[in-house]
Formats: sequence, C-alpha cells, structure tokens
Amino acid sequence: MSKYAPSLTQAHQAFLSNLFPDDGCVLSPEGLAAFSADASGERAMPWAVVRPETREQVQELLKWADAEHMPIYGRARGTGRVGSAVPSLGGVVVSMLRMNRILDVNEDDFVAVVQPGVVTADLQAASAAKQLFYPPDPASVKISTIGGNIATCAGGLKAVKYGVTRDWVLGIEAVLPGGRVLHMGGRSHKDVVGLDLKRLFAGSNGTLGLFTELTVKLIPLPEASASVLVGFSDLASSMEGAKAVFRAGVLPAACEFMDGPTIQAIRMGDDIPLADSADAALLLMVDGTQKGVDAEVRRMVAALDSVHPVSVEVGSGLEAEALWDVRRSISPSSFRIKPDKMAEDISVPRGSVGQAVAAAHDIGREHGLQVLCFGHLGDGNIHVSIMHDGSVQSEVDSAHLAKDAVFRMALSLGGTISGEHGTGLTKASFVNEQLSVDELQLMADIRHVFDPNGIMNPGKGL
Amino acid sequence: MSGDCILCGKCLEVCPLLRATGREELGPRAKADLCRLLSEDPNLLSETDVAKLAGLCLGCGRCREVCSQGVDVSALVAVLRGAHPDFKAWLWKTWLIHAKKLWSPGSAAAKLIPEQFHSEKLGPMLKMLAGLKGKSGLEPCLEVTFFPDTYRGKKMLLFAGCTANFVQTRWLMTALKLLDGLGVEVLPGDFKCCGSGLKAAGFADESESMAAHNVQVWRDAGCPPVVTFCASCRAGLQGYDGCFESVKEQEKWQNTLLSLSGILLDAFFVLSDNVPETLAYHQPCHARGDDTDYALLNAALKNRMVGATGRQCCGFGGVMRLAAPGLTDPVNQQCWDALAEADVVITGCSACVTQLAATAPDSVKVGHWLELIK
Repeated sequence: MSKYAPSLTQAHQAFLSNLFPDDGCVLSPEGLAAFSADASGERAMPWAVVRPETREQVQELLKWADAEHMPIYGRARGTGRVGSAVPSLGGVVVSMLRMNRILDVNEDDFVAVVQPGVVTADLQAASAAKQLFYPPDPASVKISTIGGNIATCAGGLKAVKYGVTRDWVLGIEAVLPGGRVLHMGGRSHKDVVGLDLKRLFAGSNGTLGLFTELTVKLIPLPEASASVLVGFSDLASSMEGAKAVFRAGVLPAACEFMDGPTIQAIRMGDDIPLADSADAALLLMVDGTQKGVDAEVRRMVAALDSVHPVSVEVGSGLEAEALWDVRRSISPSSFRIKPDKMAEDISVPRGSVGQAVAAAHDIGREHGLQVLCFGHLGDGNIHVSIMHDGSVQSEVDSAHLAKDAVFRMALSLGGTISGEHGTGLTKASFVNEQLSVDELQLMADIRHVFDPNGIMNPGKGL
Repeated sequence: MSGDCILCGKCLEVCPLLRATGREELGPRAKADLCRLLSEDPNLLSETDVAKLAGLCLGCGRCREVCSQGVDVSALVAVLRGAHPDFKAWLWKTWLIHAKKLWSPGSAAAKLIPEQFHSEKLGPMLKMLAGLKGKSGLEPCLEVTFFPDTYRGKKMLLFAGCTANFVQTRWLMTALKLLDGLGVEVLPGDFKCCGSGLKAAGFADESESMAAHNVQVWRDAGCPPVVTFCASCRAGLQGYDGCFESVKEQEKWQNTLLSLSGILLDAFFVLSDNVPETLAYHQPCHARGDDTDYALLNAALKNRMVGATGRQCCGFGGVMRLAAPGLTDPVNQQCWDALAEADVVITGCSACVTQLAATAPDSVKVGHWLELIK
C-alpha cells in the first residue's frame, strides 16, 4: 500500500478551497491539465493546483500536506526538460507565479531580494536599471523564474565565466513539510558558519521545501560586450581553437560550440554567417569595459589565427545579436531533420569534449540516427540531440538505445549524465549508474531529515 | 495548428493574460496543449469545458510571433469558439455585423443610461460605448509643412475601418486630408468590416464573407495599394486567406497593404506650443514588428514622448471583453501602470483607443495619433 494519500477527498478539497479562495485553487480537469506536463512532454494529472500569495499560506499548506501524506510539487513556469515539475504520483501542484515581486535591488549591498515567481529576465532588467548584473542566463531566461532556476540550479551560456545559478545564491527562505520556516544565509557575500544549507537547496528540485524568498548576489553591469563567430573546417580544429583562446589568457563570458550536422540543419532554412566550408563553429563572447573588450577581441582573433579558421565574424550590438540568432535557431532548426528529438545534456571534462562529440556521432551512426552536438564547450556541457521520428517505433527504440549509449560514454570519460537539465523522470533510471550506493543512501537520508514523510516532489530519481 | 506544440514555453514570455493573472492555464501553451489532449482522447476532458477555458484569450497574436513551430493559438481558440458559441459571442457578433446601425446610436444611448443600471460586467462596456463618439480629447499640435512626392498621382484605396467610418469620422477626414497632401488619388471603395473581430470570436463564415467582399472591392478598383490607419484592421486584412484566385494574387494583396504612417515617414512636421508635456505611445498588439506609427510619431514629436508600451496589451480582447471582464481588467491595469507618467496617450488602433479611453484615469486623455494632426 502506498504511503501517500490515495486521492483528494472532499474534506481535502474544502481545506484547499478555503486556504486558497477564488481562483487560487484549481480543481476542474481542464484547469488541472495545464499543470500536468512540462517542457519534457512527460505527463501526469495533478489532483489540485493551488496558487499561494503569502508565506503563511505556504506554511498552512505544508503543515496540512505533511499530516495528510499528500504529495506536493512546486512549480513555476514548467520549462524544465526532464519532468521534474510533473506530478507523477498525483497530489497537489503549488504554482508560485503569484509570488512574483522583486522586493529589493540594492546598489550598496549588491544583492537582490525576490519572490520565487519572478521571471529571471525581469530580475536582470531591474538590476540593469541600477547598473547591476545578475549573470546566470539559462536559455529559458525570458520565460523561466528565479525560483525554478534555483530549484534546478540552472546553467546557461555564461557559466564558463560566471558559474551556475547556485554560485549566485546568498540566502533562501524556505518552508519545510510541517510548516516550519527555514532562513538560510542572507545578504552577506561570504559566510562559512556551519554547513551551507542554501547550496544544498539550490538544485534540490523541490524535494526539501518550497522557496518563499530568495536573495541573490549582483555585480556591476559590464559596460560593453562583443561576440565572435568562428568557422572551422573540422571538429578537431574547433577544439584547438577553443584551447588557443583560453591559452591566450582570455576567459570568455560564453564559449559555444556547434558541430557539422547542427550547422547543416541551420543551413536548411536560414542564412548563417559562416564560410561554406565550415563544418564546426565556435561562438564566443567577451564582456567588461569597452577598452578591455576591444583588447580581448584582438587577442582572441590573433590566437584563433594560429589554428587556421575558415571564417571569423566579429560583432557588437545588433551585429552580435545576428550572431547569437544563429545559436538561438539551433533548437527549432533541428526539427528540420526529424520531427522528434531526445535532448540530452551530458557534461565531460573540458579536454574531452572533442572525444565526446566524435563518440556521440559514432553512436548515432551505429543506431541509424542523426545526432547533433552543440552547447557550452567552455564548461564541457554538450547538448546531444538524438533526432528521430516518434511515430516510427523502431526509431524510438533506437533513440532510447542511443541515449543510454551516450550516457555511458559520458560516464566513461569521467563526466555526468546531466550538466544542467537534471534527472527528473526522463533520466531517473540512469542515476544509479552514475552515483554510488553510498552517495544515493546519504542523499536519501538527507532528504528524510527535511521531509520525513517523503511528500516533496516524490516519484523522481532524486 | 496545435499538434506541433513542443511545450517549450517560449510563448509564456509574451502572453499579457498570463502575466497579469498568474494563471498558467490561461497561457498559450496550456491552450495548445488542451486542444491536443482533446484531440488525442475525446473522453479525457469535456469539450465544452475546454472551449470555455481556452476561449479566455485576448487574441493579441503575440504567441504566434514567437512560436518556433508556427502554432497559432488565436486560430485554435477561434475554432473552439466557433464550435461553442454562447450569447456573449452572439452579442459581439451582432455588434460588429451591425456596426453601422448600432455603433453611433449605441454610443449616444450608452451615455443616457444612469450609472445605477450599469452592472458590474456591463459597466466598462457601456463606458466604452459612450467614449466611442464625441469630440476629440486631444488638441491638434502637429502641422505638416512638407509632403514628399513619392506617392503623388498614385491611385489608392483607403480602408478606414468601422470606428472611423461610423463613429470617429474626424479620423477619416484627417486621413483624407493627409492623403490629399501626399497627392494620392483616393479611389471610391465600399469596404465592409475587416472581419478580424468576428474571426477571432469564432464566426468563420461571416468573416470569410467580409474578406471576400473586401478583396473583390480591391480587384474591382484594379488592385491598387490599400492604405490603413488602424493596426488591428491592417492585421486582419493581412490575415486574409482562402478568398484569392491564386497564391500570386494573395501575395499581391499582402504587398499592397500600406500604413498611413508608413507613407508619411518622409513628411516634415512642425510642433505647436501646445504639445502635451507628458505624452506616451501605446503600441497595439497588432502593430508589433515594423511599427511605422511609432517611427513617425517619435520623429515628428522630436523625442517628446515620455514612454511607450511594448509588452503590455490594452486588454480590449474582443469577445473576451464581454465574456470575462474580470480577466481583462488586470491586463488593462498593467498597461496603465506602464503609462503612469503620461497625461496624454496616443496609439494607432481603434480598439486600443476605445479601450484605453474607457479606462483612463480622469486626468489622462487618449486618442488616435491622427487627432494630433492639424
């Protein structure tokens, strides 16, 4: 027998409707459907959705849920790629979109204090208005929230220079199952007292508690940036190009990579400012003061010259936007090859990226499928898209086999099955191939301390 | 139209209804997904309930612009509305079809209805009707001192739209004066409503009949350029499909649609002393992309504008204004929050003018940019 509540009783419904009046509680099937899936396409219908507007409501909810053994799934915009927001065991989805106020952007402390439902790009814009900068920028930055970003420890294009979301979290206020409020960290940029619980919560995927207030670190807004799109005749040259840039002493804010099949997919529908002979490409960005950016671009271009690129395009402002349009067009372009894809995001030691990409291509060939590799070369995080036709069962089967092979390849190179997407539902079965029995047991024990009844986002790998 | 949604969520960035309400089930992704769920398993959800929920859409079309898969949620919603009409949609249909008969008298009649009879839902609608007619709230402050010769001697049709034809005839007069200044020969053409409001409300047959009529007027006139000064009308005309003799003719139609502001971009303007101190521009949802109204005004007003909306919708929402005013109100409020510094708000869409005029704070005047022209 399941340890969870088997359904939502009338008493449960009455409690939720009372705590979240008017449109704050959703019980209709058509209303619930919107909360059944995320960007992974995985799906399970929740029993109810609630929309808290205050911390006190969250406390009451988690006190009740713990007593009733009711599964609880925190959710913001549902843009995750692995099904972490999907209510796979039924229960109550907690939509945080109405806790969306920016409480403080402070030029003296260099911090921002926000509620979890704030869209990350809105936080960046509010910071930029005061010449401050919140650097983490997952591809979903305009549509995802800071709460979701911290819950998943979102990465992004600029992780090579600025790190991932966890590196910018100074303080977290979270409500635990049972209704206890935990304040972790604060506005201090340094803090070594005790265990760093806030970093544990960053990337915990809603398994420890629900965020109600978040404090993040800010830095001065860079005054200038410039981007360089570099074409290479083959994969190996592009890897040498990246090495040359780093060896020249330049730390780019972004260092993106595209393989030949990715470039071909873009060319099927868009113009691309790369030489026709380019079969791999790097897209680099530097930021800082105007003089510093100019100097770094000169040094980068000189360093790249030693590895004989087939084309080099430098741009700032609107010209740079045109270069980044190429990067942004990858995902929609990939569907020109096949209607469906398995999008994995392995990460390997940076020096092994070339080997990983070549191995991913080999795996694709072995399974009769086209594999595209692109992504964040600067931190070894490569997106591997296994293209297939979901209506052809043999291709679906091959894609699953190819996915497993890609994961094993990443592990064999000392890497990880996920650099930023997480494991959620889609990779849950593979987690124990990466983590040891001891690690898994310790993680389960830690979760048990915060959530003894296991109500927080159950049914996922971690 | 819905099968290709990959649930990526790009549309969540632009949906004004989602932003204003914090209700994910009202976002475009949820609507596309609901349609898919309904088609995959008709027993899973009630089609009527799905239509009711998905029908809560402003029809702004912003989600279609950003969708990498070309999903058109407004069109999906129109199909659902068409399959499940209710009396509010019928009312909207009646209003639009009989615009000529109803709008002007309706506007006068609305003013006479005592406030105590304004129900909570109908109150804003009546206020909007009352605001449709009457003297301009804006004082003209722009004079054209030079017209380019680019269009001199050219024959064109003027698509004025229902509001200018039946209620705000001063817009029509000013537009004709400007076209005369440009040396354009305005051909007679008995256009009907563009049909976009009806199309969005789910009345496909009626809107297609209007489209076919309007295209025939254009053909009969020898397929000349068609000038418009309402962003929603222009978007409606651009969306015509299925009433052309060939793809080539459809392309020609698309290319002949001109905005009045676009052909005035090379004109010179002088400002009078009475230019409002704090003037802001509201960008209509249907004027996104190449917004020549904004380009013209920004140049003509010599950067005197204090602000402009970009992501905010006025909250007009067509049939939704009647069906769920409680949901359009917060959308409208976000728009006013963005325009908070302005004493005068100008725009280039008849629906936006009526909605903003009906909801403006007492101290704020709203009008079409044509009202600024002397």
